[in-house]
Amino acid sequence: MKLEYSGQENVQANPEKVWSFIQDPNKVASCLPDLKAVEFKDERNMVATVGVAVGPVRGSFKFNIELDPHPEENKVMVRIRGGGLGSAVDLTASADILGQDDQTTLLDWQGQATVSGPAATVGGRVLDAQAKRLIETVFANMSKKMSEV
Amino acid sequence: MAVESANLEPKGIQGLGKAIKRKEDPRFIVGKGNYLDDINLPGMLHMALVHSPYAHAKILNIDTSEALKIPGVKAVITSKELAGAGLAWIPTLAGDKQMVLADGKVLYQYQEVAAVFAESRQAAADGAAAVQVEYEPLPVVVDPFKATAPDAPVLREDIKGNMTGAHGPRRHDNHIWTWDVGSKDETEKALAQSEVRIKQHMVYPRSHPAPLEPCGCIGDMNKATGRLTVYMTSQAPHAIRTVLSLVTGIPENNIRVISPDIGGGFGNKVPVYPGYVCAIVGSIVLGAPVKWVETRTENLTTTGFARDFHMDIEIGATKEGKVTAMKVYTLADHGAFDAAADPSKYPAGLFSICTGSYDFQKAYAQVEAVYTNKAPGGVAYRCSFRVTEASYLIERSMDVLAHELKMDPAELRLKNFIQPSQFPYPSALGWTYDSGDYEKTLKVALERIGYAELRKEQAEKRARGELMGIGISTFTEIVGAGPSKDFDILGIKMFDGAEIRVHPSGSAIVRAGTRHQGQGHETTWAQIVSEELGLDVDKIIVEEGDTDTAPYGLGTYASRSTPTAGGAMALGARRIREKAKKIAAHLLEVGENDVEWVDKKFVVKGVPGKSVTMNEVAFAAYTNLPPGMEPGLETTYYYDPPNLTFPHGAYICVVDIDKGTGEVKVRRFVAIDDCGTIINPMIVEGQVHGGLTEGFAMAFMQEIAFDEQGNNLSSNFTDYLLPTALETPKWETGHTVTPSPHHPIGAKGVGESPTVGSPAAFVNAVVDALAHLGVRHIDMPITREKVWKVLRQAGVDSF
Repeated sequence: MKLEYSGQENVQANPEKVWSFIQDPNKVASCLPDLKAVEFKDERNMVATVGVAVGPVRGSFKFNIELDPHPEENKVMVRIRGGGLGSAVDLTASADILGQDDQTTLLDWQGQATVSGPAATVGGRVLDAQAKRLIETVFANMSKKMSEV
Repeated sequence: MAVESANLEPKGIQGLGKAIKRKEDPRFIVGKGNYLDDINLPGMLHMALVHSPYAHAKILNIDTSEALKIPGVKAVITSKELAGAGLAWIPTLAGDKQMVLADGKVLYQYQEVAAVFAESRQAAADGAAAVQVEYEPLPVVVDPFKATAPDAPVLREDIKGNMTGAHGPRRHDNHIWTWDVGSKDETEKALAQSEVRIKQHMVYPRSHPAPLEPCGCIGDMNKATGRLTVYMTSQAPHAIRTVLSLVTGIPENNIRVISPDIGGGFGNKVPVYPGYVCAIVGSIVLGAPVKWVETRTENLTTTGFARDFHMDIEIGATKEGKVTAMKVYTLADHGAFDAAADPSKYPAGLFSICTGSYDFQKAYAQVEAVYTNKAPGGVAYRCSFRVTEASYLIERSMDVLAHELKMDPAELRLKNFIQPSQFPYPSALGWTYDSGDYEKTLKVALERIGYAELRKEQAEKRARGELMGIGISTFTEIVGAGPSKDFDILGIKMFDGAEIRVHPSGSAIVRAGTRHQGQGHETTWAQIVSEELGLDVDKIIVEEGDTDTAPYGLGTYASRSTPTAGGAMALGARRIREKAKKIAAHLLEVGENDVEWVDKKFVVKGVPGKSVTMNEVAFAAYTNLPPGMEPGLETTYYYDPPNLTFPHGAYICVVDIDKGTGEVKVRRFVAIDDCGTIINPMIVEGQVHGGLTEGFAMAFMQEIAFDEQGNNLSSNFTDYLLPTALETPKWETGHTVTPSPHHPIGAKGVGESPTVGSPAAFVNAVVDALAHLGVRHIDMPITREKVWKVLRQAGVDSF
């Protein structure tokens, strides 16, 4: 099952703050909803265990998350691969980081995910709604934490 | 105390045609059925399988270490361990081979990757969840039409470049076989000369039998005796025993397959599945019984599916509506392995019955099978080897032709039926139909439903803008596989056996090589024996499903039990009666030629009062024999039918369609079946009710669908629907009787007729309701959404 999303989020922080935030896996991980455990491999890679509920598919998924910042292009790429409970998720996302003014940064983002296994076959009907909610929560958390920095 | 023969008067002879209550029902009604999951053996372990989330992927690594740490988990096996036992791959019934556990790559979603053995079902499931498999996804082939594109990814790398398969040449690495029948040149010539020609593409979508009880087994290897006992939800326990012996190397006498009560099969429980092999290997390795019971999702996603035929038909006819020729091309999506359970000679099953009930002088059919990234299978779901697809194709096409000719579909059928005088009828595609009276059966159905009045009502409603349709299906089945000259599976001829033992006190035990799953054999076999031997039906017990005790047979599927084992039962009983006649003559103190079988007694010719019952003869068989005769009264009979049987029927469906919502309401459905001699009318009616309900489900509700990544979108009962009493229409049933001339009691089999015959009636009715809007065909399942879209496209926007 292929999912594609895009959107724009205004974060109440200047671009420097945003850059420093998203290059810190520790901080990025703290924005993941229902985070159970995280293991940092290096400054770009981490393994996060996250609680997931897609319809009747409920439990922990383990994700390899790679952050790939391209400051020269004002862009950050994120690759997430993993899964659990017999399901697999393969996600690629990118965000353009565009300063609006001293206090505001626009994240112009898009992402494509491929979901296989029960999360798609059994949870397919609610997957789209759940994925949107997950994305909204991640951005809400980021926005909140960045503005606190 | 000695048994008194005078007390042995049989009371309840209930032979053919009696609607007696089913002998097997009491134990089910009081919850005393004994299904596979009711069986628990001392020290038994449980098995759970690890499944692939991907439809096509390389396996880079399998890490079982975390699974083995879970309390209660005893072992995990993968393809590597199976390879050590020579069981990484097993042969399929169709001449292909299939992986037991994924060997290097997975070829369909939910494919079995590893098996976990544990002390409890829960621990096994936890263990399966803890097995870490690293995959590298590969491009997926979902659409069978794209499978043989030049740039299509090669699915079966194990046979890459091998351009000869079990059924002839392969033209692409994802091509399995091409099979054809009939004369192509003559058919094309006849089509070219036809005044009217119609062409239609139609899809019989992939569906699944979805028995309420999923598949399962217990492997129990006794290391002390070397004997393997396998309890299994199997419709064909003897064939399974032979296959197990061939693939494991265990001598067949050291294998006992016990098939306990089965909660529905519909063909789903014929093949050998990877789970069975793993449970047996687990028992051999671990020295303990191992139970495996599928989950609902495992059943729907990995075991034998049905249909998935993509068909193109062309029919020629005269302007007056007399058919001249038909040509068919079909693309068959067989999934990742060719594991269809067809007779060896017939890779497309009995699809060449697609000329149906009509007198086609020329016909040609070609079927091509391809590999895709879907689960293997292809024959199951209450279908005699592709007869369902064939019947749907011709019955739907006859309506398309009627529409083209602007002729009433009943009239078109009546004009083209094979006539009673033409039987035995050799069809253009090579079958010899045994008997039939199609016109009579259709006329009974037309009268019963009030066809002429319905057509008037339809015209009136149409004038008012209301949507009402009438659909007819006058199908011919082909069942009873089969005659040994043509039919075998893995070389084993498809006859079936019956054993009858009559006890001294006039009771009997009867065993057959078949295995019922709700068909009522415990009653119908007893009725055949009661009819032939004059014994009390309540004193005849029927046993099936234990290979140690039952005679060999190929099992119950494809409506074959009555045509094969039913014949064995009747002829075995008659063999017993021959011996009984000699004993009767001895008791009556006359010569054997002076004794005749009248009214289920042995009577002295010309002296009606002088007679003995079979009970008295049975007693004498153990107590008072003619000098020199072998004691006892029993036999085993193997019946090799001389031909298949060809049941038929006329089904008429009336639908009303809601223009606003697209909802189709089946207002009436009349089903007149002709299955030859009827053994138990109540059981036949029950079979017809069940089959019609399944046909209704296929027509309106069921499809195993996939997305582009090969995700199975029908993996549970919220997405793959079973009709309940709420949706199911009221069925009006009836019958005509045209006995099979070659079957010992004239019976033909009925289990599959309603699933075979009804889908076309439903679809024809819906299309008939919409025909004036320019609609010519709609593929199943005809969901509300589909009809709504068709209506909107046709410009219907008023409610």
